[in-house]
Amino acid sequence: MELFRALGALAERPTAGHAPIARSLGLPGAPDAATYTALFLLQLYPYASVYVGAEGMLGGEARDRVAGFWRAIGLVPPAEADHLATLLGLYAELRERCEEETEPLRRSALDRASCALLWEHLVPWVPLYTQKMRAIGDEFYRAWAELLERALRAEAHEHAAASLLPLHLREAPSFADPREAGAQSFIAALLAPVRSGFIIVRDDLARAARQLGLGLRQGERRFVLESLFAQERVPVLDWLEAEALSAAQGVSDAFPPVIRTFWSARAAGAAALLQRLGQTEAEFEATSARTNV
Amino acid sequence: MSPFDDIGELNKRVSAARQETEARGETFYAGASRIHLAAFPPKERWNDWVELDSRAWPERKERRYSLVPTTCFNCESACGLLAYVDAETLQVRKFEGNPEHPGSRGRNCAKGPATLNQIQDPDRVLYPLKRAGKRGEGKWIEVSWDAALDDLATRIRGAIVEERENEIMYHVGRPGEDGYTERVLAAWGVDGHNSHTNICSAGGRAGYAYWLGFDRPSPDHANADVILLVSAHLESGHYFNPHAQRVMEGKQKGAKLIVVDVRLSNTATHADHWLAPHPGSEAAMFLAIAHHLVSTGRYNRNFVRRWWNWQEYLQNERPDLTPTFENFERAFLDLYAEFSFDYAARESGIEERRLREVAELVASAGTRLSTHNWRSAAAGNLGGWQVSRCLFLLNALLGAVATEGGVYPNAWNKFVPKPIYSPPHPKRWNELTWPQEYPLSMNEMSFMLPHLIRDGRGKLEVYFSRVYNPVWTNPDGFSWIEMLTDETKVRLHAALTPTWNETAFFADYVLPMGHSSERHDIHSYETHDAQWLGFRQPVLRTVRERGGEHIADTRVVNPGEVWEENEFWIELSWRIDPDGKLGIRKYFESQKVPGTRLTVDEYYGYIFENSVPGLPERAAAEGLSPLAYMRRYGTFEISRKVGALHEVSVPADELVDTQTNALGRVYTRAPKPASVNVVPVPSPDADCDGRRPAGVEVDGAVLRGFPTPSGKLEFYSPTLRDWGWPEYAAPAYIKSHVHRDNLKPGQMVLIPTFRLPTQIHTRSANAKWLDELAHTNPVWINPIDARRLGAIETGNLVRVTTEIGYFVVKAWVTEGIRPGVVACSHHMGRWRLHEVGQRQMSASVKLKHEGDSWAMHRTAGVVPYSSSDPDTGRIWWTDAGVHQNLTFPVHPDPISGMHCWHQAVFVAKAEAHDAYGDIAADTAGSRRAYEAWLAMTRPALSHSPDNTRRPYWLLRPLKPGTDAFRLPTPT
Repeated sequence: MELFRALGALAERPTAGHAPIARSLGLPGAPDAATYTALFLLQLYPYASVYVGAEGMLGGEARDRVAGFWRAIGLVPPAEADHLATLLGLYAELRERCEEETEPLRRSALDRASCALLWEHLVPWVPLYTQKMRAIGDEFYRAWAELLERALRAEAHEHAAASLLPLHLREAPSFADPREAGAQSFIAALLAPVRSGFIIVRDDLARAARQLGLGLRQGERRFVLESLFAQERVPVLDWLEAEALSAAQGVSDAFPPVIRTFWSARAAGAAALLQRLGQTEAEFEATSARTNV
Repeated sequence: MSPFDDIGELNKRVSAARQETEARGETFYAGASRIHLAAFPPKERWNDWVELDSRAWPERKERRYSLVPTTCFNCESACGLLAYVDAETLQVRKFEGNPEHPGSRGRNCAKGPATLNQIQDPDRVLYPLKRAGKRGEGKWIEVSWDAALDDLATRIRGAIVEERENEIMYHVGRPGEDGYTERVLAAWGVDGHNSHTNICSAGGRAGYAYWLGFDRPSPDHANADVILLVSAHLESGHYFNPHAQRVMEGKQKGAKLIVVDVRLSNTATHADHWLAPHPGSEAAMFLAIAHHLVSTGRYNRNFVRRWWNWQEYLQNERPDLTPTFENFERAFLDLYAEFSFDYAARESGIEERRLREVAELVASAGTRLSTHNWRSAAAGNLGGWQVSRCLFLLNALLGAVATEGGVYPNAWNKFVPKPIYSPPHPKRWNELTWPQEYPLSMNEMSFMLPHLIRDGRGKLEVYFSRVYNPVWTNPDGFSWIEMLTDETKVRLHAALTPTWNETAFFADYVLPMGHSSERHDIHSYETHDAQWLGFRQPVLRTVRERGGEHIADTRVVNPGEVWEENEFWIELSWRIDPDGKLGIRKYFESQKVPGTRLTVDEYYGYIFENSVPGLPERAAAEGLSPLAYMRRYGTFEISRKVGALHEVSVPADELVDTQTNALGRVYTRAPKPASVNVVPVPSPDADCDGRRPAGVEVDGAVLRGFPTPSGKLEFYSPTLRDWGWPEYAAPAYIKSHVHRDNLKPGQMVLIPTFRLPTQIHTRSANAKWLDELAHTNPVWINPIDARRLGAIETGNLVRVTTEIGYFVVKAWVTEGIRPGVVACSHHMGRWRLHEVGQRQMSASVKLKHEGDSWAMHRTAGVVPYSSSDPDTGRIWWTDAGVHQNLTFPVHPDPISGMHCWHQAVFVAKAEAHDAYGDIAADTAGSRRAYEAWLAMTRPALSHSPDNTRRPYWLLRPLKPGTDAFRLPTPT
C-alpha cells in the first residue's frame, strides 16, 4: 500500500524530497517546514500514545502496547513505535507483503497482522486526529488529513471487521471527577483524549482565554489550564463543557460504528460531568458571595 | 463503482512515481527523521545539498554544501562521518553520520561531530616546529617540512647503514589504520613498531588468543538472547558506538543484559543484572558458572566434543583416565571442583543467590550468548587475562562461537585489503619492545621503555611518538620525562601529532598531522557479523577535486601546513633512500610512472581496484572508478553474514600429500591459497616435514578449524605449558595484586581504568564541546567508606596515596561504587608547563624535581581567553581534573605483558597544605616496582622450549622473520 507509506512520509519533518510525494498524491502545493513545526510539534502530536494513552502523553502503556505489536509479529520496535508515520509505514509494509505472499498460511498470518494493526492501533485514534488537523491545519495539511482519513476509511471498510473494541479503548480509564480524584487528576484527564473524548491543543486554550477574557500564561497545556482555572472556574468549566458537547455531537464518521460510539460516549460523559461541576461551582460561588456580603 | 476506487488509483499513481524516481537512481522516500534516525540527505544529492543557515534565523538563508564522507579518527571503531563542506567558503561547517556506513549506520557518538572543534581549535599546531631551547623548555621555532624531513632522514639512514636499526622507534597511540605504518617500518627493515596496546587491551586479547588464536572477539550483540559484558561497554572503549547501538538493539528484541563492573556505569544502569565484584574476582565467578553449566548438563556437549582440544588435556594432565569425552567431563568437574557458587560468592562479595540467577540466565542463552571483555578487569589486575579467557569459556561451553547472537573471532568480521607492496618481515628483533623476559607478551612492553633504556638495553636515535602521549597516558610519567630529557638516551624525538600534548612538550620536532577530515587511511572493524571497509580522506581535497582541480599534496588543502601521514612517510622514505640503493625506495615508488613517488591516489586506487572483492563491479554500475566510488561513499560492505568459518570443509585441492597427527590436525603440502584479505591471522607451526596446517579432522571431515596449534579451541594451551606456565595451561583464576589477601590494613583498591563516553584520550582537550560536557574526575567513594574515613563529603579534597606517591583530588560520595573500592576516571588532568599548548582543558602547573623525587603543583586552572574562536572567551569551567597516572608505577603482567592498572591505595582527607591537583611521585620507587614485577617473569632464556624468543604462531605486530626469533647464543 504505497499510499499509506506516502501519507506517513508526509507526517514527517518536510524535506525537499517531500514535494514529489505530495505531487504524486495530488495534494495542493508542498509542505512547509514552519507550518509542520507549528502543527506537529506544538499542537497535534502525531503519536498514538497521546490519543489512546491514559495519561494523554507520549509513551507509557499505550506505546508499550504498540511496541508489543511489533514484537508479536517478530519485528524490533523502533524508538518511536507509535508515531503516525511509523504505523502507516508498517501497515503499508504488511499489506504489501501479504499481497506478495504466495504461501497460504503465511499470507493469512500477514493478513491477520495487518488487520490487527489497523484495528488496534490506527482506526482507534487517527480519525480523531485528522478531524482536528482539518480544523487547525493549513491548506496542505488539511488536504493531507482529509486524504488520510478517506484512505483509512477505505481500508477499514475492506479490512477492519472486528467487533470487539480495540484494547487501547477497552483499557482506557474513565474521565476523572475532581471531587473524588482531586484537581490534578481532573486536569490530567481533560488533557487525555481517551478519557475526555476530545482533544485540547494549545491554540484551543489560547482561544478559551481570548473568549473568556482571561490572561494566558505561557507553559505546557496543563500549566495553562491550571492558570485559567485559577482565574475563573465557572466560565472555564462552561467553555470546556461546550467543547466536549460539540465533540460528542460531531464524532467523525470515519470511525467504525463501535469506535464512534466509544468516542461519542466519552465526550458526552465528560460534557455531563463538566456541566454538573459548573453548576455546583456556580452554586457554591453564589453561596460564598452571599456569605461574604 | 465503490466509493473508494479513487483511493486505489491514487495508490497506483504513488507507486508509479516512486518506481520512476528510483529508476533514475534517486531516492523517493528521504527517510523518516524520527524512525531509525534515517533522515539523512539522499546520497544522490550529496554533491549539492541545501540547508537553511541556522545562524541566520529568522532570515531564511540557504547554504549549499558538498557532503564528503570520511572516517572518524577519535577512537578505533572507524565510524562513518559525513563532512558538510560549505560550497562558498570551502570550509567544513559540521560533521554528521554517514548513513551508508555498515558499522555505525549513520549514528555517531559525541566524539564524531566534535571533529569540527578539533580542526578549528585555535591552539592547534599548524606548522612544523623545532625546539629552540632545552628539551621541555617550551621554546619553539617554525621550520620547513624540508628541514625536518632532511634531519630525520639523515639520522634514520645513518642508523640503518650502521646497522643500528633498533634505534629507530615509532610509538603509536591511535593507529586509525590497518598496517600502513607497519609496512613502512618493514620496508626500512626496522623492528621499530611500538604500540600502546599493553596499557590498553593486551590482557583482554591474551585471554582470547589462547582459545582462538585470534586476539579479539566480535560479539553479535544485536541477535543475542543474553549479553554478558565485563566493562562499561556502552560508554567507553573502542567499541562504544557500533556496539552500544547493537547492545540496545539486542535489548529491544528482548535480550537480557548482565554487566560486571565495580562501578555503576552508564552501561550498568541499562543492565538486568549489575554485578559489582571485588576487583579481580571475575574469573572465579565465571568458573563457578562454567562448573554449574557442566555439572547440570546445561552446555553444548556436541560442540565441546567436536571443537575443544579436550583429548590434549586428558593426554597431558590426566593420563590416569582413558581418553573418552565422558572422562573429560569428569576431569573438567574435578579441575574446577573448588569453584562452587559459595566460593565465588566469598571471592567476589556477590551473593550466592545472585550468582546462581546469572548462571541460569547464561545457561538459557544457548548459542545466543554474546560476551565481551576488552579492558576493565582484564586491564586492571595481575592475571587479568584470565578474565577474558574464563569469560570466553562460557561461550565455548554453550557453543556460542561464530553463531548468530554468539561471539566470532574478529578476523572473520574484518577485511584488510592487500596493498600495492608487501615488504618482507624485518630481520631484526628489538629487545626494547620485546624483551626476552616477556616471551608471551601480547604486544610491545611499551610502558617499560624508560626502565629498559635506563637498564642500558639500548638507546634511540629517532623516536617518533605518533598521535600518542605516553608522558600523560602511560603510568609512571615522570620516568618518561626523565627518559625524554636525556639526550644521550633519546637523541631525537619527533612528535607526529594533530594537537599539543604533554609528550610533545619534550620533543625536538612537533610535526602537525591531520584529524579525520585531513588524512587518508583505510580501516575495517569487527562491529558485527560482516566485513566492511571504511575510507578516511581529506575532505577538502575531495571537494576541490569534485570541482575539477588536481591536488597532488594534501598540505595544499589542509589548514596551515598540516600534512597527512601517507604522503609524509612516502616522502621521508625517499629521502632516506634517494637513489634506491638501500632497497627501501622501491616500496614507495609509482608503478605507473617508475622513478617517481607513489601517490595516495595510486596507492588507494590499486587497493580498491585489485583487493576489495565486489567493489570494482559496484563502482562500475555507477559509472565510477573504485577510487571515485570510495571517495564518494566512504565505505564498502564486502560481505554480510560470514558465518562459522571453522565449520567450512577444506577443499580437496588444498589437501595434497597430507599428514594427520594423533589429535586430528591435518597438514598439507599444498600452498596456502592466495587471498586479498591480509587481516593478521596466527600462524601455527608446520609439521616436521614442512607441511602447513590446513585444517582439522572432526567426525571424519577435514574442516578449516581455528588458527591454533591444534586447530581447535584450545581449552588446554600447550603453548602456556611449554613456555613455563603449566599451572595456567587451562583457564584458571589468578588472584589479583589487589586481591584482599594482598592489601595492607586500611588499603583500598583504586580503579583508574574507566572514562566518560565523551572523552578521546589526549585529543578531547581540543574539542570545546566535549570539554564543556566533562572536565573533572572526582574520586568515587561509597558513603560507607566516606563515613569511615572521617565524614568525607562530596567536594572535599582527599589524598590518594599509591605505592610511589600521591595525588590530591575531590571526592564524590556515591553508592554507585562498591565499598572498599574507589574509582577515578582517566582522560582527565591535562597540564602544561608553559604558555604554549592547548588551553581549553589544561591546568598550568609547576614541576619540582630533586633527584628521584618529583612534584607537580597547579598554578592556575582553565581560564577564558581570546582567540580566533569567540567561544574561548566564554569558557566557564576552571577544572581540568587530576593526572593520577603520574603516581602509578609500572605493573607488567608476567604473562600477557599488560600493565595491571588497579592500585592498592590509602585514601584520607587531604592534609592542611595539600592543594587540588597536587601530585608527588618517586621514580626510584617506580624502579623498585619495575624490578619486583620483572622478578615475577619466566624469561625465554630460561624457559623457551625451542631456544626462540616467542612462540612463532602467536600474533605479533610487524612480525620479524623466523631467524630473528632465535635467542642469542649465550657467551
